Amino acid sequence: MAIEIVMPKLGWTMEEGILDEWIKQDGEEVAPGDIIFVVESDKALQEIEAFDGGILRIAPDAPPVGSTVKIGEVLAYLLQPGETPPFAPTARDAIGDRSAAPAIDVSERAATPPVAKSVRRSRRGGPAISPRAKRVALELGVDWSALTGSGSSGRIIERDIRARAEMLATAEAEINITPVARRVAQEANISLDELAAHYPEERVTRADVEKLAAEREPIATSAGQPLTRIRQLTRDRMVESTRTTAPVTLATEADATELFQMRQKLKADGSAIVPTYTDLLVKLVAAALAEHRTLNATLDGDELLLHSAIDIGIAVDSERGLLAPVIRDADRLSLLELASVSADLVSRTRDGTISAEDLQGGTFTISNLGMYDIDAFTPIINLPQCAILGAGRIAPKQVVVDAEAERLAIRQMMSLSLTFDHRAVDGAPAARFLQRVKHYVETPYLWLVN
Amino acid sequence: MREITYTEAAREALAEQMAVDPSIFVVGEGIGERGGNFNTTLGLYEKYGPMRLRDTPIVERGFVGMCAGAAMTGTRPVVDFMFIDFILDSMGELLNQISKIQYMSSGRIKMPIVLRGCIGIGGAAATHHSGSYYPLFVHIPGFRVALPSTPYDAKGLLKTALTGDDPVLFLEHKLLLNRRGPVPEEEYKLPFGQAAVAREGSDATVVALAVMAPKVLAVCDELAKEGIDIEVIDPRTLAPLDMGTILESLRKTGRLLIADETFGPCGIGAEISAQVMEQSFDDLDAPIARLNGVHTPTPYSPSLESAIIPDNAAIATAIRDLVAE
Repeated sequence: MAIEIVMPKLGWTMEEGILDEWIKQDGEEVAPGDIIFVVESDKALQEIEAFDGGILRIAPDAPPVGSTVKIGEVLAYLLQPGETPPFAPTARDAIGDRSAAPAIDVSERAATPPVAKSVRRSRRGGPAISPRAKRVALELGVDWSALTGSGSSGRIIERDIRARAEMLATAEAEINITPVARRVAQEANISLDELAAHYPEERVTRADVEKLAAEREPIATSAGQPLTRIRQLTRDRMVESTRTTAPVTLATEADATELFQMRQKLKADGSAIVPTYTDLLVKLVAAALAEHRTLNATLDGDELLLHSAIDIGIAVDSERGLLAPVIRDADRLSLLELASVSADLVSRTRDGTISAEDLQGGTFTISNLGMYDIDAFTPIINLPQCAILGAGRIAPKQVVVDAEAERLAIRQMMSLSLTFDHRAVDGAPAARFLQRVKHYVETPYLWLVN
Repeated sequence: MREITYTEAAREALAEQMAVDPSIFVVGEGIGERGGNFNTTLGLYEKYGPMRLRDTPIVERGFVGMCAGAAMTGTRPVVDFMFIDFILDSMGELLNQISKIQYMSSGRIKMPIVLRGCIGIGGAAATHHSGSYYPLFVHIPGFRVALPSTPYDAKGLLKTALTGDDPVLFLEHKLLLNRRGPVPEEEYKLPFGQAAVAREGSDATVVALAVMAPKVLAVCDELAKEGIDIEVIDPRTLAPLDMGTILESLRKTGRLLIADETFGPCGIGAEISAQVMEQSFDDLDAPIARLNGVHTPTPYSPSLESAIIPDNAAIATAIRDLVAE
C-alpha cells in the first residue's frame, strides 16, 4: 500500500505551506529519519523527516516546487519495491530497455532520466555563487544578490557576473546623462537602463530623472509583488491584534546608567559572549514577570491563562520579515546561558534556518528599537500574549538628580513602552509591572538576589 | 624528428648513462640475458655484462636493502621491479632506510637509487600485477616520483633520475610502453617538478596522470568539435608536484578535473584539490571534479577489468559535466 506524503501541519495557525525544495528526488530510496523535503511555513523553513521507508515517487502532476499547498494535500508517495505508483506511469517506470553500453568513444552514457535539480541555495539563504564568480563580482563591482545563476544547479558562475557587468557597462555607455542626474537616479533607485529606454538619444537631466521617479512610484506599487508567506502572516496577525485587543501603552523613562556601565564592564571582562541590551532586558523583565504573573499570560477566549514558565519572545528583523524567536525559561537561565541561547536564535532567525517550534509559545515579547535611535513607540501585542515591552535607545541626557539641591547630572536614560491588553490586565497592575522593570533597569544587580 | 617507443626512449637514457657513468648498475629479476620482462634492459647485458646487469632471486627486501647499502657507498643502483607491485615486499627498506638516510646523516650520505617498474591496469594482468601505488610514495618525505606519459618525458626524466642524489620512483604505465613519440637524438634532461601543458584551452583544466594523459588528449580532440576547449596538464612528476602550472591554468579556466586511473581516496586528486582550495579558492568557478578508477582490487576478467577504469566515454562525460556545472 503506497504511503501518502502530505503537506504537514506545522503550527496551530498553519493552513497551507510552500513546498520549498525536495531533498530526496523522484525514484530515490528513503529510510526512516531521512529528510525528504523542506516546507516554508509559519515564518520558518522546516525540514520534513520520513517516518517510513520506501521509494519516493512524485506524480507528474504533483504540486511543483515553490507552489503553495494546503495542509493534507498529497505531495508524493512512498512505495515498497514492486509496488506500482497510484498515478499514470512515467518514463521511469518503463522497464527492460537497458541496452548494452554503446561501444563508441565519447557519446553520452546510457541516459538516466533527467531529474530536475533544485536551485542550489547557499546555507545563508542567498543564491549559491562560485568563489571565482564572487571574486570577479567584487573586482567589477557587480551586485549579484538578485542574479540568476546559469550553473547546472542554479549556481552563479563567472560568466553570469561578466554578462551582468557587460550589460551595465553597455547601458552606461549608451546613456548621455548629467552627473547630477546620475546621482539623483541612483538615489531614486532608477537604473540607467530604464532611463536610456525613456530618453533615447537625449542628454538626461535632473528634471528628467525626477519626472520619471514621480511617474514610477504608483506604477511600481500597482505592478506589485505577491506578499511572501511571512508578510501575509504578519499582516493577518497585526490586523487580528489591533482588531481584537484593547491596547494601552504606558511609557516611562529609566535611568540606565548602571545597566550601561554593567554592560561596559562585561565587555571589558573579555568573556566570549557579551550579553546584548536585549539579553539584559530579557533577564530583567523575566525577573519582573516572576513577581507580576498577570502580565505573563495568554488570553484564550473566556479563559486567561497565567503561565508559570516565562518564555520571552524577542522581535528580530530578518530578511524574511519580522520574527519573534522565543527564549524559554528566561528567568532560570544564567545571563551567559541566556546570551548564548539568544545569539543562536537570532542567527538562525536571520539565516532562515529557525524552526517553527522556536517561534511558538511565547508568554511575553520584547521589541528593542534602541539601536535605531527610537525613544518611545507603541508596540503591537503579539497574540495570544497580553503584553509587549518596547525598549528605546539608551542616550545620555541631562536630568535632575536632586531637586532640593538643584543638582543636575548627565545620566544614560532609556525609554520603556509597555503595551498591554486591557481586556486581560488592568492599568494599575500593568503600571506596577513597568515600574518594577524600570527599577530593575536602574538597579540591575537586584536580579542576582532572586 | 625520429620517433621511438616509450620503452626504447627509457632504455636509451639508461644505456647512455651507463656508458658515461660506470657506477650505474641494474638489479632485478630477468633483467640480465633476458633483457627485462618489459625489455627495459634489452641488449644491455651484451654490452655491460653480468656485473652491471645483475639477475636476482625473488627476494625484493634482500636486494633492495643491498642496493641501499651500495648507494650509500657511492654507486648508482637501478632496481628494476618489472611490475611495481613487487616493491611492496621491500617497504621496510624503502620507507625506513632509503627515504630517510640523507636526513639521518645530515646530507653526508647520498641515496642515488632509481626504483623503476611498470604500473597500471591493462592486459588482464590481475590484481597482483596492476597496481600503481604512487600516492604512497608521494606521501613519504624523501622520495621523488616520476610518472612520464610520453617517450620524450620518459627519456628526459630517467636521465635526471640517473644523475641526481635522491631516491627516485620511476613509474612506467604498461599501456604506454609501445607508444611512439618524437625523441631528439641530442642530449637533454627534464627537470623534476615541471608540468607539461599538453594542450592549451580555456573552458576547463584537466590534470591527467600517466596513461590518462593520452586518453584525455584524444577525448579533448573529439570534444573540440563540440566547441569545448580544454587545457590538459601532465604533471610528469608527482614529487615534486608543480602546483604553479596547475594554478596558473586554473586562474584562466576556473574549472578543474583530475583524471587518474588509480584509486581516488587519499590520492593525487585529493591532494591537488586540497592545495587548490588552500591557495586558489577564489579562482574556482565550479567544484573540483575527480575521475578515478573504481576503488577495488583489479579483476582478472578482461570485461570486468575494462569496467573499472575510466574509458573515453567516462572522461567525456566528466568533462562535459564539469563545463556545464
